[in-house]
Amino acid sequence: MNTQTAAATTLASHKVEQLSFERILQGLSTAVIAIDATGLVIYANATAEASFEGWIIGLDLKDLLPGFTLLNVVQSGPTSMVLSSKSNESYEVTLAPLGDGHFVVDLRSSSKQLEAPIQTELDDLTGLAKRNMLMSHLTAAVSRGSDAASFAVHCIDLDRFKTVNDTLGHSIGDLLLKKVADRLNSACRKGDVVARLGGDEFVVLQHDVQDVAAAEKLAARIVDLVGRTYVLNGHTINIGASVGVAISEESSQPRDLLRNADLALYEAKRFGRGRYRSFESSMGALLQERRDMEVDLRRALALKQFELSYQPFLDLNDDTVIGFEALLRWNHPLKGNVPPLQFIPLAEENGLIVKIGEWVLRKACLEAATWPGEMVVAVNVSPLQFKADNLLETITSALARSGLPAHRLEVEITEGALLDDTDNVLITLTALRELGVKISMDDFGTGYSSLAYLQKFPFNKIKIDRSFVAGDNADSEAILKAVANLGISLGMSITAEGVETAEQLKRIRDERCTHVQGYFTGRPMRPEVIPAFLNQTLLATL
Amino acid sequence: MNIYRLVYYSRNHVSSDDASYETAVDDILAKSRVNNVRDNITGALLFNSGCFAQVLEGPLDKVEATFERIQQDERHSDVSLLGLDPVSQRSFPNWAMGFVGLSDADAGRFAAVGLSSGFDPSRLNGEQIHILLRDLTMEEENSF
Ligand SMILES: Cc1cc2nc3c(=O)[nH]c(=O)nc-3n(C[C@H](O)[C@H](O)[C@H](O)COP(=O)(O)O)c2cc1C
Repeated sequence: MNTQTAAATTLASHKVEQLSFERILQGLSTAVIAIDATGLVIYANATAEASFEGWIIGLDLKDLLPGFTLLNVVQSGPTSMVLSSKSNESYEVTLAPLGDGHFVVDLRSSSKQLEAPIQTELDDLTGLAKRNMLMSHLTAAVSRGSDAASFAVHCIDLDRFKTVNDTLGHSIGDLLLKKVADRLNSACRKGDVVARLGGDEFVVLQHDVQDVAAAEKLAARIVDLVGRTYVLNGHTINIGASVGVAISEESSQPRDLLRNADLALYEAKRFGRGRYRSFESSMGALLQERRDMEVDLRRALALKQFELSYQPFLDLNDDTVIGFEALLRWNHPLKGNVPPLQFIPLAEENGLIVKIGEWVLRKACLEAATWPGEMVVAVNVSPLQFKADNLLETITSALARSGLPAHRLEVEITEGALLDDTDNVLITLTALRELGVKISMDDFGTGYSSLAYLQKFPFNKIKIDRSFVAGDNADSEAILKAVANLGISLGMSITAEGVETAEQLKRIRDERCTHVQGYFTGRPMRPEVIPAFLNQTLLATL
Repeated sequence: MNIYRLVYYSRNHVSSDDASYETAVDDILAKSRVNNVRDNITGALLFNSGCFAQVLEGPLDKVEATFERIQQDERHSDVSLLGLDPVSQRSFPNWAMGFVGLSDADAGRFAAVGLSSGFDPSRLNGEQIHILLRDLTMEEENSF
């Protein structure tokens, strides 16, 4: 040891003495106790007192930690054991001999709650476990550790429950929740825990899961059983269940399991509901990707990364351009041009489409107002914009601010908009029509009840999906013909979308489509080239 | 008291080897008869190897509770509810649960309701199934 370090050490030990060891011990965040040879507490620091809520000197350590015994404590070195207090806190307890049969005991709160008391609070409505109770069962299952059999967590969401509540009222909604609870109970085995976390969110904790197949079997059973028709007060009710499953692994924590099952549930819903999905580790990454994209999307509006491009459509009577469909483009600073299919579904999912759609409407009206003559602009409106309640207001103000006459705006909707809450959507559509706005049905033929919707509202135009135009088989030709005839008899115009070749153009002409839009008759273009394009086509037809 | 009639058909899951088939059907019927007498429910059950079709009639709450139990039964699936309507009188007043096992030969006699070959209730509506069951059980009654 050189002289310098020796000096430093002496200095340090002086300081320590000034502090007094007692104060150091009192300041420790670990509980420290000393016991005598009979196990009585002869010293306890502040943390130890706090852990046992009071004055403990003089008490037997056995009374504080019921499982404690001096029998297997050795005198030669430290002994460790895991013990629980009366209030079920679990501790890693280490005893080190102090001589004379005395020991210093330090207690570290152990993360494993060995026998945490099981909460027993039940949901008033359904009699199922509440969140607390589920969590304590889950914690207990986790702490049983890797020797015990695996277990599975199923997160369950009801599909269309909200619609039932909205249309039939809360009392039927409540009855339905009770029935769902019954069915969940009947799908599960005795020891399983069925919980309702609120609303229409349920969780099942399935015990003794031998393998993935066993968990998936229950998930499938839940999807089947909960999805069967209900009859309540004379109402026939059909809902579905989506289920996400996560199976316990070594070192999994309650929260992770719930999160994983929830991620899987999210995927089940994304894949069309009424089904189950098991957790896969890639799901977390996928979610992260979507979150990043969502952040980017939120920024994109503020940073003006969106643009509109315009694809012309022609009247087949005289082959002139009569308008343009506004198409959304996203110019991402790093990723470049992001295709709409990559971000529109996400924007629909998180509701951003309402804001984006509003921007599109305003921008399209402003730009169209500069076009010559009676040139029309067609704008896609998402189902969510109808639900947002301010669509009429937005359109009225977009028209007013741009000075575009209402009849030069065409709103394109898909069947999706009419699927839920049809009555309210029809009210909005009627009001738009009264303003003078044109309404067209987009992507016609891709949904399943297309024809029924044509009866519900007098659309100005039907746009036949590109798949029927491109498909050169007899079926799509027959459909094309049938829709065109139907449109004509209902007094609606028919636009064939996605026309790419002269041959296709001839065919749709023969089938009496009235309008055409596609690469063959004009690609989407930036707004600044529209004047030149119009001049050119005007010359071409002359 | 208002009587409701519920009609459904479903896909039979009972394995078709004779012994277990018979026990399953016996079990369903025995249970049904006990429960239905208690619940003031009457009706008829038809089965063949592919499906069940059933009519339940009784007070609404009891019909609903019984249907809910039946819905949860693993011995069948794809339960299609064809109708639930108030009726002025019962069609099966004497049957806690009338039962008809329908062979293809039987089915041939009901060509009128579209049963040319084999029996496939999915092609029938609630009223047709109701009439079919009523006629079949009536025949059984008369043959005693
Ligand atoms: C096709 C089919 C028809 C049934 N019909 C009846 C019925 O009419 N009445 C009834 O109580 N149970 C019926 N059951 C049985 C129920 O599904 C259920 O097993 C039974 O009601 C349970 O009764 P328990 O709660 O008294 O044990 C039927 C089952 C099947 C598969």
